[in-house]
Amino acid sequence: MTSWRLVIRSLTFHWRVHAAVVLGVAAATAVLTGALLVGDSVRGSLRGLVLDRLGKIDALLIAPRFFRSELASQLATQPSFTERYDRAIPAILFPQGTVEHTIDDRVSRASRILIVATPSSFWELDTKATRPKVLPGEDEVVLNEPLARELGVTVGNSITMRLPEAANAIPAESPLGEKEDRVRGIPGLKVVAIVPADGLGRFGLTPSQSLPMVAFTHLATVQNSLRLEGQVNAIMVSSAGDHPPPNAEDCLELNRLLKPRLGDYGLSLTQIRLPVKGDSTKADKLVLDYTSLTSDRMILDDEVASVATNAFAGYSAQGVLTYLANALIPLDDQGQETPGGGVPYSTVAAVDSRAPLGPLVGPDGEPLPPLADDEIIVNSWVAEDQDLVAGGRLRVYYYLPETTDRQPQETYRDFTVKAIVPITTPAKPFSGERSAVYDLPPTLANDKDLTPEVRGVTDQDSIENWDTPFDLEREVRAQDERYYDLHRLTPKAFVSLSTGQSLWGSRFGAHTSWRIPTPSNPPGRDSQAFRQQLADAFLKQAEKSQARLGLAFQPIKWQGLTAASGTTPFDVLFIALSSFLIAAALMLVSLLFRLGVDQRADQLGLLLAVGIPRAQTARLLRREGTLVAAAGSLLGVGLGVGYAWLMLAGLRTIWLGAVVTPFLVFHASTFSLIAGYLLGILVCSLTIGHAVRRLKLIPARRLLTGLASAEPQQQASQSKWGRKSGWCLLAIALVLAVAATQLGGEAQAGAFVAGGAAVLTGLLLLFRQRLERIPTSGLDATLSLSRLAISSARRNPGRSSLTVGLIASASFLIAAMSSFRLDASLEGAGGFESIAESSLPVFVDLNAPLGRAELLGQEANAKLAESVILPLRVRPGDDASCNNLYSALRPRVLGVPPALGRHFDQADTSFSWGPSLAETEEEQKNPWKLLDRPKQDGAIPVVIDQNTAMFSLGIYAPGSHASFDYDGVQLDLYVVGFLKNSVLQGNLLISETHFQDRFPDIAGYRYFLIHSPDGQTQAAPLLEDALSDQGFDARASRELLDSLLAVQNTYLSTFQSLGALGLLLGTFGLSTVQLRNVLERRAELALLRASGFQHRRVGRIVLWENLFLLLGGLGLGILAALYAVMPHILLGDAAISADRFGRDLAIMLALVVAAGLLTGLIAVRWTVRAPLIAALRGD
Amino acid sequence: MPELKLDGVSKSFPTRREPLVVLRNISLELQSGQNLAIVGPSGSGKSTLLHLMGTLDTPTEGTITLCGENPFTLDEPQLAHFRNRRIGFVFQEHHLLPQLSALENVLIPSLAEGAPDDAMISRARTLLERVGLSERLEHRPAELSGGERQRVGIARALIHTPSLLLADEPTGNLDRTAARGITELLVQLQQQEETILVVVTHSVELANGLQRRMALDNGNLCEA
Repeated sequence: MTSWRLVIRSLTFHWRVHAAVVLGVAAATAVLTGALLVGDSVRGSLRGLVLDRLGKIDALLIAPRFFRSELASQLATQPSFTERYDRAIPAILFPQGTVEHTIDDRVSRASRILIVATPSSFWELDTKATRPKVLPGEDEVVLNEPLARELGVTVGNSITMRLPEAANAIPAESPLGEKEDRVRGIPGLKVVAIVPADGLGRFGLTPSQSLPMVAFTHLATVQNSLRLEGQVNAIMVSSAGDHPPPNAEDCLELNRLLKPRLGDYGLSLTQIRLPVKGDSTKADKLVLDYTSLTSDRMILDDEVASVATNAFAGYSAQGVLTYLANALIPLDDQGQETPGGGVPYSTVAAVDSRAPLGPLVGPDGEPLPPLADDEIIVNSWVAEDQDLVAGGRLRVYYYLPETTDRQPQETYRDFTVKAIVPITTPAKPFSGERSAVYDLPPTLANDKDLTPEVRGVTDQDSIENWDTPFDLEREVRAQDERYYDLHRLTPKAFVSLSTGQSLWGSRFGAHTSWRIPTPSNPPGRDSQAFRQQLADAFLKQAEKSQARLGLAFQPIKWQGLTAASGTTPFDVLFIALSSFLIAAALMLVSLLFRLGVDQRADQLGLLLAVGIPRAQTARLLRREGTLVAAAGSLLGVGLGVGYAWLMLAGLRTIWLGAVVTPFLVFHASTFSLIAGYLLGILVCSLTIGHAVRRLKLIPARRLLTGLASAEPQQQASQSKWGRKSGWCLLAIALVLAVAATQLGGEAQAGAFVAGGAAVLTGLLLLFRQRLERIPTSGLDATLSLSRLAISSARRNPGRSSLTVGLIASASFLIAAMSSFRLDASLEGAGGFESIAESSLPVFVDLNAPLGRAELLGQEANAKLAESVILPLRVRPGDDASCNNLYSALRPRVLGVPPALGRHFDQADTSFSWGPSLAETEEEQKNPWKLLDRPKQDGAIPVVIDQNTAMFSLGIYAPGSHASFDYDGVQLDLYVVGFLKNSVLQGNLLISETHFQDRFPDIAGYRYFLIHSPDGQTQAAPLLEDALSDQGFDARASRELLDSLLAVQNTYLSTFQSLGALGLLLGTFGLSTVQLRNVLERRAELALLRASGFQHRRVGRIVLWENLFLLLGGLGLGILAALYAVMPHILLGDAAISADRFGRDLAIMLALVVAAGLLTGLIAVRWTVRAPLIAALRGD
Repeated sequence: MPELKLDGVSKSFPTRREPLVVLRNISLELQSGQNLAIVGPSGSGKSTLLHLMGTLDTPTEGTITLCGENPFTLDEPQLAHFRNRRIGFVFQEHHLLPQLSALENVLIPSLAEGAPDDAMISRARTLLERVGLSERLEHRPAELSGGERQRVGIARALIHTPSLLLADEPTGNLDRTAARGITELLVQLQQQEETILVVVTHSVELANGLQRRMALDNGNLCEA
C-alpha cells in the first residue's frame, strides 16, 4: 500500500468521474494544440508556397536595365559557382506588364501582370510538375490559370502583351526623357498552354499567398519584339544538390562572381580624338585625345560618378555636365533682354578646365581658373552672333532638370560673361556619320563630344529634325542651323561644374560624361588597351566599393522563407483569442473535478481524521488530477489535430477572407504537439490544483459528513472577499480596456483579453456573492417556481457560478467580437470613390486641366472639371496589408504629392487618423502636412495605416523609427501619423520630394486617388479607357476597403465561432451540473412528486434552474462584453451596430435556449423516471 | 497523570445573532484502559465533544491534553502526526475507501509516514484476524456486510496503537446482533490495547457495555 497505489486505485475506481474530467482536459488541450498547429500550418503553408512558386530558383538578379545574356553563361562556368550552384538562367522579367485579349471587338485586359520571358530551361527549375505540355516557342505564350480566367482565353487564342520600353533610356522625368510611346505591344501571341497556379505556375517576385497572374513566353519573343537581341534584365540561379538557398551574404559572393562589362551597366568608354588635317607630308595632328565615359541613359548616376571619381583619380579625369539651354539671350545695361537677340537651343557645358583637356584655356594654353557662380564663358561664335564681349550679361533659359509633364517648366539664370573662347570653323561641316574636317587647328572648345549622345537629337542632321519630347517653341534661325551643321551640339557656353550641377543636377545624376586624357607617354600607346585599363579600373573600383550599379543578386528564396514566418504569429493569435474558450474548458475541468471531489468528501475527511496531513491529502488529489490531465491532454492532442484541421478547413472556405486564398494545408511540428501536450497538462493541473486548494478551508469533520464546502462563517468572509475582489477586478478591467485603446498589435489584443478576463471574473465573483446573499428564509409555499429555481442554484454557489462562467465566457466572446466588426466607409478612402493603379507609369498630370485635356480631349476634360485625381508615385514592394500573410520585408512605398496635402485643406471628407505627431493646429487639421516635416537623424517622415503598422510592421506608436532596404537603397523612416482602417493599407506613405530623393530612377505615377462629385461624369471609366496601354485599372474604393476589412471581420467571425464552441462546452458543463444537482436532490424532488406534484411541474422546476443559469451566463457575458468594449467604442474603433449586435444576440439566445432545453430535458427525464420509493430513500 | 484530560472545555459556534453554545465548561479525566460512554439526545453536542477530543475541532475555551500534551498548540502537520499516532476513530459511517481492500483500508493511516513497512502490514493482518476478518483481507468494502465494514473500521482505528480510541455511534447502522458483537469487540480490543475508549451513542445497550457512562444535557456533562 503506497500513496501511488491509492492514487491509481482511486483513478480506476472513480473512472466515470475522471472520464468526464479527461474530456474537459481534452477540450482545453485540443484548443491549445489546435491553435499551435494552426500556427504551424500557416507558417508551413507559407514556406511551402515559397518553395513551390520559386521551384529551384534560389537567387535572382533583376536589373533596371538590360545587359548581355552571356553574363549568365559566364557566371555558370565559373568554378566557384559550380561548386555550389547548379545553373544560371538568363531571363527578361516585367513585373508590370499588361495582357489583352480581343473577342468581337471587346477587349478584356489584365494589368500588373508578371511577364516571364525565358529559355525553355526555366521549366526545369519547377519542382511541382506544372511544366506545360507545350513549352512556348517564339510568338507563343503560356498563361497561368488566374490570368487565363481573367482574360477568358483558352489554348489556341491570341493575346497581346504590352510591356514598358527597354529601360536603357534617358530618365523619363528629365526634359529629354521620352514620356510617351514608352509602351511596346507584342501582338498575336498564341496561347499554347494554360498551367495551374501551382509550382512555377504561380511564380512571383514578392512573397504573397495571393494568386499571381503570370504570362510565360520564350526569351527570344521579347528580345526580338523589343529589339534586344542577346539582352536580358534578369538571371535566375539555382543551388546544386542539397545546398541551402543562398542568403544575403552568399549573394554578395554571387555578385563578386558576376563579371559584367561596362556595357552591362549601360556605360561606354569612347575614344575621342579631335584631329586637324595635316598636309600631304604630315599626318593628322591630334588637338584632343581622350576617353569619354558616358551612359546610354545620358546621365551618369551618382553611384557611377562615385565609382568613376575613385577609379580615375590617377588619370587627371574630368567630370562634365552638359545641358540644353533653350536660349542664350544677352542683357542690356538695364538687365533687359536684347530685343530680337538670343541663340536658341544651345548646349552649355559645366566643366572645370584642366590640362590637357581644357576646354577653356587662355592664350598661353593654360587652363582658365575656375569660374565663379555667376560667370559664364561663351564661344566666339556666340560672341560674334550676339555682339557679346567680356563683362556683358547673358541670360540662360533652360528647363528644370526634373519634370513629369510633357512640356517641362522653363526658368533662367543670369550670368556675366567672363571671357570669350575661340572656336575654329571647320573646313567641311558634319554630314551624316562624317565628322567635321578642320584645315585650321580646332580649339579645345571645339569638342562636340562634350555633349552626350541623345537619340533623336544628336543623331539628326538639323535642329528642325530634332525629335524631342517637348515642343521647340523658339525660333531656330538659319545661322543656328549653320552652327549645327558645322559644330553639331558643341557647347556654346561654359559654366563651372558646381554651378552647372546646382542648376541642372538632379536625382538622376550630376554628370553627363567623364573625360580621361590619353597619356602622351609612352607615345603610340594602344588606345584599345588604355580603354581596357580604364574599364578594368572602373570595374575593380565598383567591386571594391560593393557598388551595385543595378546588378545585384537577391536571395529571393531565403527572403521568402524568412518572410514565411508571417506577419502575425497565428499560434499566439489563436491562443489569445481562444483563451476564453480555453478558460471555458478549464472551468469545465474545474467543475467536473470538483464534482468528483465533492462526491468523495467523506473519504477525504477520513484521510484527515486518521492523521494524514492536509498537504499530503491534497498531494494525493493533485497526483490524481495530474494523471487525469496527462490522459486528457493525450486525447486532447489527438483532438487538437482534428480541431486544427477543422479550423484550416474553415479558413479555406467560410473564413477564406482572413487568408485571401485557400492555400492552407495542414502542418504539424513535433514541437507544437509536445508543447500542446505539456501546456494542456500544465494548465489543467494548475486548474485542478486550484480546485483542490479550497479543501484547505474545509474542516475534516465537515468533510466526514459529506460536505465539501467551507463553514458558513468562512463562506461569509469569503463572500466579503469575493465582493471586494469583484469590484477590484472590474476597476482593473476598466484600466486594461482603456489601455487597450491606446496600445497596438499583440499588446492591444493582450490588454483586451486580460481586461475581458478581469471583467468576467469580477462579475462572476459579484454574481456568486449575490447568489449567496439571496435570503432563503423569505421563500415560502407561495413562492414561484423561478424563485425555487434560484434557491436551488444558491445551494451550491461555486458550482452554479462556474456553470454561469462557462456560458458567460462564450457569450462574452461572441458579443465582444461583434462590436469590433468594421464597415467600409468613405472616410476609409479619404472621400475618394475610386482607387486606380496602372501597370506602367503615367506622365500626364491628371489633376491639371492641361494634362487631362491632352489625354481625354477638351470635351471630356470639361465634364471632369470638378473631379479630383491625385497621382502618387510607387516604389513596388511587398504588400504589407492584412491581405498578405508574409512578413513585409520591403513594403510598397507611395510618394504623396503636395497636391494631396492641399486637397485635404479644403476637402469635405478626409481620411480617419489615428495617433499622430501633429502639434500645430494646422497639422492637427490636416495631418498630411506632417510629411513635410524635416528629416529626423536622416529619417524620413512616413504615414502608415495603423493596422499595417501594428500587425505587419510591428510599429506601435508615432515617433517610432523603422528601416527598410530596397535593393541597396536604405529607407530610414520615422512615423509621423497613423491612418485608421484606410484603403491605403499596406503602403508606406512618404512625401513625393523624399520619394524622388530616395528612388530617383522611378518615374511617373502609378497609383491614383479619384473623386468625382455625385451626379457628374465619373473619371475612372474615362481614364481606364484613355490609359489602357498603361494598364490603368480602377476599383471602387469601398469594394477595395471591404476586401481589406474583410480580413479583420473574418477573424472576428472565426473567434465568434470559437465562442459558439465555448457555448457547446458550456452546455456540456451545464448538463453535468444539472444531472449532479438532480442526483443530489433526488429525494426532495421525489418528495415533491409524492406530494402530488405532476411530472410536468417537477420538470418545470428543473428547467427553470437550467434557464436561470443559462440566462445568468448569457447576461453576464453580454454585460462583460459591453463593459470591456465600451472604452473602445468611446476612444477607439469599436462600434455597436444594432443590427449586427441584435443578430448575434439572437443567435446566442437561440443556442442558449436550445442548450438549456436539451440539458434541462435530460435532467427532467432522469428526475421523473427515477423510481419514486428508491428516490425518496435517496438511493 | 491522567492520559486524557479535559479542563473547562467549552465550545460555541458563531451564528448571525449570537454564538450558539454547544458545550459548557466540561472537565473530564480518563486513564489508559478506561472506557466511557457519552449519551444524550440528538443535538446535545456529543459528536462535537468527540471531535474536540479527536482534535478535529478546537475548543472555544479550556484545554484538552492527551498523554500530557496539548495538541492544540501544534501546527497542522504536527497535529496530523499527533492524531495519526495517538488517536483512533471509529465512525457510524465506516468511511472505508471503496477502491481499496479491507487490508489496505486498515493500512491507510500508515500512509502518513510513507509506505507501510512489513511490521505494519503484519499488524494490520493481525488486527483483521482479531476482528474476525482473516478470510476477508482482500475484499473490497462493497463485498462486506455492514458489521464487517465496521470491524475493518475498528482495525483501522487501532493500527497505530492509539492512546485514545473514539467511536461515534459505532453501532448506529447495525442490527442488534451485529451491534452487540461490535460493542464486545470494541471493549475487548480496548482492554487488550490498553487504550482509552470514548463512545458517543444513543444506544443504551452499547453504553451499558462500558465501564463509565456520562450524559450531555444542555451542554453540560454529568454522570448518567
